[in-house]
Amino acid sequence: MAPHGRTARTMAVGGAMVLAVSACGGTAGGTATSESPTELRLAIGGEPDDGFDPTLGWGRYGSPLFQSTLLARDADLGIVPDLATDWSVSEDGLVWTVDVRTDARFSDGEPVTAADVAYTFTTASESGGLTDVTALAEAVAVDDDTVELRLQRPQSTFVNRLVSLGIVPEHAHGDDYARNPVGSGPFALVQWDEGQQLIVERNDDYYGDLPDFERIVFQFTGEDASMAAASAGQVDMAAVPSQLAGTEVPGMRLVPVPSVDNRGIMFPYVPDEGRTTEDGAPIGNDVTSDLAVRQAVNSAVDRELLVEGVLEGFGSPATGPVDGLPWYEPASAVGDADPARAARLLEDAGWVDGDGDGVRERDGVRAEFALLYPADDSLRQGLALAVADMLAPIGLEVSAQGESWDVIDQRLHADAVLFGWGSLDPTEMYNLYSSSRAGVEYWNPGFYADADVDANFDAALAATDQETANEHWRAAQHDGAGGGFGPSGDAAWAWLVNLEHTYLVDECLDLGAPRIEPHGHGWPITAGIAGWRWTC
Amino acid sequence: MAVDLLTARLRGAVGRLLRLVLLLAAVAAASFTLMAHSPIDPVDAYVGGDIAAIGPEQRAQIAERWGLGDPPLERFGAWFGQLLQGDLGQSLTFNQPVTQVIGERFPASLALMATAWLLSGLFGFSLGVVAGVRQGRVADRAICWWAYTLASAPTFWVGLLLLYVFSVSLGWTPVCCAVPVGVLAEDVTLLDRLQHLILPALTLSIVGVAPVVLHTRHAVIHAMASDHVAFARAQGESTRGVVVHHVLRNAAAPAVLLQFAALGELFGGSVLAEQVFSYPGLGAATTAAALGQDVPLLLGIVLFTTVFVFVGNQLGDVAHARLDPRVGRRPSRGRRGRDGEPAGLPAAPEAFPPPPTGEPEPAGRGVR
Repeated sequence: MAPHGRTARTMAVGGAMVLAVSACGGTAGGTATSESPTELRLAIGGEPDDGFDPTLGWGRYGSPLFQSTLLARDADLGIVPDLATDWSVSEDGLVWTVDVRTDARFSDGEPVTAADVAYTFTTASESGGLTDVTALAEAVAVDDDTVELRLQRPQSTFVNRLVSLGIVPEHAHGDDYARNPVGSGPFALVQWDEGQQLIVERNDDYYGDLPDFERIVFQFTGEDASMAAASAGQVDMAAVPSQLAGTEVPGMRLVPVPSVDNRGIMFPYVPDEGRTTEDGAPIGNDVTSDLAVRQAVNSAVDRELLVEGVLEGFGSPATGPVDGLPWYEPASAVGDADPARAARLLEDAGWVDGDGDGVRERDGVRAEFALLYPADDSLRQGLALAVADMLAPIGLEVSAQGESWDVIDQRLHADAVLFGWGSLDPTEMYNLYSSSRAGVEYWNPGFYADADVDANFDAALAATDQETANEHWRAAQHDGAGGGFGPSGDAAWAWLVNLEHTYLVDECLDLGAPRIEPHGHGWPITAGIAGWRWTC
Repeated sequence: MAVDLLTARLRGAVGRLLRLVLLLAAVAAASFTLMAHSPIDPVDAYVGGDIAAIGPEQRAQIAERWGLGDPPLERFGAWFGQLLQGDLGQSLTFNQPVTQVIGERFPASLALMATAWLLSGLFGFSLGVVAGVRQGRVADRAICWWAYTLASAPTFWVGLLLLYVFSVSLGWTPVCCAVPVGVLAEDVTLLDRLQHLILPALTLSIVGVAPVVLHTRHAVIHAMASDHVAFARAQGESTRGVVVHHVLRNAAAPAVLLQFAALGELFGGSVLAEQVFSYPGLGAATTAAALGQDVPLLLGIVLFTTVFVFVGNQLGDVAHARLDPRVGRRPSRGRRGRDGEPAGLPAAPEAFPPPPTGEPEPAGRGVR
């Protein structure tokens, strides 16, 4: 569902721009700033239409700039304290006790207290915004610097709320807060010209390491104008679509950042027994419900080739939904680009080409299925067509079909669909594979269900420390005994590629170690913004 | 006599007002129906790429915050009730009252549209007069060719081209926005604003130029062929004198009418122009509202635009009547013209309307 497939229009525009750039020849080149600048200009998108209120979802990825969070993720995505000095989870997983540092102040000079933290969590749990804190039963400030977050059910992934929810001041959180944010983050708002730019300045009272730059200007231009601004030397950094990443811009380098912004094939997991959903959508597919077919697809596709051919090299092969994250199990992967193995798997399962038409069949069922993708997404179209070509030689007939989401909504339980996901929160993995999520929203559309996987999920959620949780998340992918939802087990999906997000960055700007980004090209790169340095 | 005239005027004004109210009601109802039947689920649109992280309980909360639980008719009723009290409601996308959203963004759009409108009017009229006077000559052919080229060029494409030539390659104009990037509001000068306005306004005006050129040209050709011009020429008046004294006024009537009737198109074009140049006007807000299924904001913008276009058309009518006395003297025709689109000018950007005066004649006739 990641909504950033390039439409045909963007492609056309992009193509026109490449021509225009090369036709126009040399540009101004480099920013006017030759010494170490005090100001950074970024064109990486990410403007929130509804302002900078964390209780409505601001800061859920990237940096919240103005606010700070209880916990944070380091470059390896490990959990480190931020506004919290310490935290613990009760034995039953229901009570999270957090110690808040006492030296933090909001930008209006007031101290950050446990009451503000409790207020923030309570408000976010009721506000109906883009941060899901519904697991919270109540948040109570036990004393000045201790908060108890009491949950309705154990949820180890609640740690992601502590990582992403910026703390707001109870005394200054009114109707206009979203446009006049007050917080304890590394930056303070100077000016927001909606639809154009955001100017922030360093908050010199920030308790953490002060950023190198006094002022940062975010210009909110579309891809076309951002590219133009980069070419004209007006910005220090721009998010560029990978189709334009090959464009040389003097004074800037291309930084491809790895991500879990992935694309993969969801298979209907159950056979077609005439079941339908409440809305009348059919459930099940007699071909993809066969383990051998799903494993054969996983083995036969050449993911390196997809990265080279469809992503133009800006990506990496994907073996699961969480590649490279702390809860990823590398052993879940299987070797790919191996049509011989795939053919053997099909052969052994009884899929043979009896009538010599190049397509296998078994018990009168032809080894064919439709692969749906949203019609306006040229990237997924490229992947779908390439996969169909790769599977034809092993006797699997795949028809790639571009459809609107309306049509896909009706068919996604009965036909394979090329989806895109990618989150730094294992909740997504749970949603994709838990039997309790079968047919809910766009989660687990294939009705995958496995008791061992469910048990591992439950154990991961109930875990009171992240290490234990991660062990169970890993076991859900591959349990070492042939189980798990990954390609080595049930092969419930065939993940294909992870995208790389491409940025043009001034040669003098050091972004630190790149961290894996979630879906969403642009704002997530700000996660480490307070540590960016100028090296010239 | 004077009293009669006054009551007639008053009656006319009341009539117009009544028509506007009916128009607004119809537009609101139609827009709401369209939105209510749109396949886009507002919560889906809002959640967007975060769908993996937002559970069913949270979705229910969002729907509740936006009052989506009630049946459509009830929601429309509630909205309408608020409207009667002068409250356009709260924009979902911007988390701000609709009046505030429109109020903050309209000035930028107005500056853009007014500049583009004046540019296309003056530029189009001048070119049209030149082409008409020089009918069949090189200048005429060049102008016609130019007009057809512009008419078939998509706004966003023209915008991108201008962006690359003037902003990237030559560096004369800024790449985006209505104010300089990184400059505080209090330090922004009028010159800065004009510099940022010029390219989007030019883009927007270029697309509006073609119809004005072709219609003016046609009207000029028509006037030049008329008896009174022949009479003036016979009296020894120069071409310049003929044009200034006998042709301009005749040719101005259709151009003015067309310009006022094109306000709707101008609004549509501004959506694209604002998109290309990241110009923060109402056009950008309209896109956001439509993509986000922001019913209150979209209805607010639709109503606002309706009033804007309606008033523009009425002004066009009045100006047309001033310029062309025949319109004012035949009240029955005039009233017919005022119903809906003035004098039956279609608003579709591609369609060239039939010439408003005189017998139909292919626009390209002079070229052959």
